[in-house]
Amino acid sequence: MNSVIQTYRLTKMFKQDEVIKPLDFTLEKGEICALIGKNGAGKSTFFKMLAGQLIPTSGDIQLCGKSGKEKEQAKKRMGFMIETPAFFPDFTALQNLEYFRIQRGVAEKERIYEVLQIVGLANQKKKRFKDYSMGMKQRLGIALCLLGSPDCLILDEPINGLDAEGIMEIRNLLLKLNQEKQITILVSSHILTELQLLARRFVFIKNGVIAEDLSREALDEKSRKQIRMKVDNPTKAAQLLERTYPDVQFKVLQDHVISLRNHVEKGAEINRLFIDNGVSVMEFRMEALNLEEYFLGLVEGNAND
Amino acid sequence: MINYIKSENYRLLRKKGLYITSLASLVLITAAAYVLHFLGENEANFPYATSIFFYSNVIAGSLLIIIVAFVFNQALTGRDTSIIKQSVSFGVSRNTIFWSKLLLTLGYFLFLCAIGLVLMIVLGENLLFSEGESIGNFLLASLNMLPLILAAFSMIHMLKMLEVGDLYTLILLLFVFMFSGDFLRLLFRPVAGLQEVYKYAPSSLLNENLMDFMDYKASLDYRYWIVGIVILLVSLTIGARRFAKQNID
Repeated sequence: MNSVIQTYRLTKMFKQDEVIKPLDFTLEKGEICALIGKNGAGKSTFFKMLAGQLIPTSGDIQLCGKSGKEKEQAKKRMGFMIETPAFFPDFTALQNLEYFRIQRGVAEKERIYEVLQIVGLANQKKKRFKDYSMGMKQRLGIALCLLGSPDCLILDEPINGLDAEGIMEIRNLLLKLNQEKQITILVSSHILTELQLLARRFVFIKNGVIAEDLSREALDEKSRKQIRMKVDNPTKAAQLLERTYPDVQFKVLQDHVISLRNHVEKGAEINRLFIDNGVSVMEFRMEALNLEEYFLGLVEGNAND
Repeated sequence: MINYIKSENYRLLRKKGLYITSLASLVLITAAAYVLHFLGENEANFPYATSIFFYSNVIAGSLLIIIVAFVFNQALTGRDTSIIKQSVSFGVSRNTIFWSKLLLTLGYFLFLCAIGLVLMIVLGENLLFSEGESIGNFLLASLNMLPLILAAFSMIHMLKMLEVGDLYTLILLLFVFMFSGDFLRLLFRPVAGLQEVYKYAPSSLLNENLMDFMDYKASLDYRYWIVGIVILLVSLTIGARRFAKQNID
């Protein structure tokens, strides 16, 4: 069994509002998967159901092939950080981690010092949680996830509140954990460029359903270069494109701009075609989408157009 | 479950609320005894410097004890319920959380009650005028109160775990332990077979216990235990079942 997480027809309703529609999702061992969606798309609800904080309305969740009560045992080998990590505000980092060490049955007390070292809080271990900055709280949350030497990390907005250096450190840490210890990671963030540097699989969630599930290669392919041309007569230009290249994928945008998604290698030829047929090209640009632009295109409903 | 109880114990022993509430309760008991003793020594014909009057404050003050239970529960678990979501994420079952928190907070509360009781007897018998029967009378009346206090504690725990607001909890406690007798008497007055039901209401039982105590007639009564256990079982069954299905957000 290589699936760390599997959901079957998972749904969640809050009163009459179906926040998660029947959702099938599988996370394989060793993957780094980014869950992407705008606010209210259902990411945190999905994470909370995986963590057991929210009870699904219907459907099933399997963790490491286990469901029902056995799933609770599987969760002991997982590290969850959902939204803001919750700790006792008056306890120091050491006391907070000690509380969870006892609770999780981690025998070695030294593990606390190890994880604090890993997340860079070793020098702040005696500071009370309420005196921590947002970034330090996030780091402590990650330390807690690592306390039980997990096989899988589920991280909702782990780099929230971190500075640029902190973000890079956490990214490198997660990559290292994945490469050296084969820790499976499911992560979400609003900083999409960061996810692009980290993940190898991208799942786009929109209105509670998976809108797209792409490997890095597939995403690169989908967000590959495109041509943007500003022309004086977009209607005629569109007709010319359709007649000359029957499989052409393009979209007419505002301000007489045509966005061309395939045949990008034929830029010069298309330019000549327009000019020869009396369509003036005022602007010609070759550009590639990053994850953020691709995501925006997807949520606005035109990424595949 | 053992690991969870151990971790909660680690937490409770580091909570200021545990020590502040305990200390405040014991200081109040001691202060009350010394005030009665002082007035008895200095005021001519002061009638209340007796152990029976001193003890009657406990037997009559069941609502105060319930409020101490509420404050105790609040101090130990009130602000920390957000941590539960973390524990659930790490595979601790909701049942384990519900019962472990109850066992620990109740354990500490009963320990405080036992110390308070011993302190009262020591102060009452040494500082105040005491008649021979007063200790036995006091202990019997306290034993009658115990199941109802346990019932109140389980209600508080249930409502706290189900995230019911503090104001609603206090209103419910007031109703059950102060007005339930009057309410049932009014409700069942027209129903011939049910006119005596109000005698089993917690507030009626607590009043009766006080009257018996003041008349030196306190005796162990099964009704307190039946009513207390019924409330306790209903509270905990509803609490555990609903908490097992509750979203923790």
